[in-house]
Amino acid sequence: MKKNHDNKFKTPEGYFESFNERLMARLADEEASQSSSIPKNDGFAVPDGYFENVYSSVQKRMDGKGTKVIALKSYRAFYYAAAAIAALFVLSLAWNWSNPTQLGFEDLASTDITAYLENNDLGLSSYEIAEIVDLEEVTILDIVENQLEEDVILDYLDENVEEIEDLNLEYDEIQ
Amino acid sequence: MIVEETLVAELKDKHTQAKAFEVLVNAYKERLYWHIRRIVLDHDDADDVLQNTFIKVYRNIDGFKGESKLYSWMYRIATNESLTFLNQKSKKLGITNQELQETLVENLESDVYFEGDAIQLKLQKALATLPEKQKLVFTMKYFQEMKYEEISEILETSVGGLKASYHLAVKKIESYLTGAD
Repeated sequence: MKKNHDNKFKTPEGYFESFNERLMARLADEEASQSSSIPKNDGFAVPDGYFENVYSSVQKRMDGKGTKVIALKSYRAFYYAAAAIAALFVLSLAWNWSNPTQLGFEDLASTDITAYLENNDLGLSSYEIAEIVDLEEVTILDIVENQLEEDVILDYLDENVEEIEDLNLEYDEIQ
Repeated sequence: MIVEETLVAELKDKHTQAKAFEVLVNAYKERLYWHIRRIVLDHDDADDVLQNTFIKVYRNIDGFKGESKLYSWMYRIATNESLTFLNQKSKKLGITNQELQETLVENLESDVYFEGDAIQLKLQKALATLPEKQKLVFTMKYFQEMKYEEISEILETSVGGLKASYHLAVKKIESYLTGAD
């Protein structure tokens, strides 16, 4: 073993052997003191025997015997029913207010339907709606309320596109 | 210990799925319950969301491709279900999510299934002030003692981002708890 002839300092016996242990203990102490103001238990409790009955509760709900029944397979019907109710509601209002001309679903303002769907809780999450709406079948015209006029499109492009080449248009489309 | 691949295969097989589902529920019910409970706070709401989570897992198991761990996928569903539940609740009550958080914490004072003392109640008040993501990261790390890698897979956020969120959450909570009332 090589001796350090220049170093006249001494260390307590076993100092280096126990260094790691003492360092880890200190780190643990510091960590504990840093989070000491945050309690480790958040105080929540559950009714006695709750976890023993979770499976049977789930089973009952799946069989439609639970207290809160969610008909997972009938989203589509629910969706159409909600739309139908919205249609009837708006149609009845229109009937009372104006002359009794024949009204159809197409007479409903899309804003009325949107407002109804937004303001009335259908019990469907966006997650669930996403499961039944096939996005591949949705076109831009389903989202944009009115047909875009050509001059509106041109004004938009004029204001927002600096280089016409960025649009990657074919020559005959520029004509 | 449950082998995930085997369980998933059994859940997808019509002949074995009923038994496998029971195994799945019994294996994950407590962990998922506490995860959900810390988001929705009320026991009955947590029970409701937990059941919906398991039903969703059962109905959608065929869509589980094994790209993530089964438990990560279930945690993700539980998180989405919990947050959707809270959004629906705030909409029903006509209040903002922040107002709902404050109401939920106020309700804890009379909740028979909340046995926390003044400090633990104050902790919930502190948590209610945090942005949703910070709150999620904090509860998953601090109370559920999950690894950053696991949280990263569930919340689909980088480990670095999670560490930053956790650090910020701890600072804010400590400041709230040690600050004047």
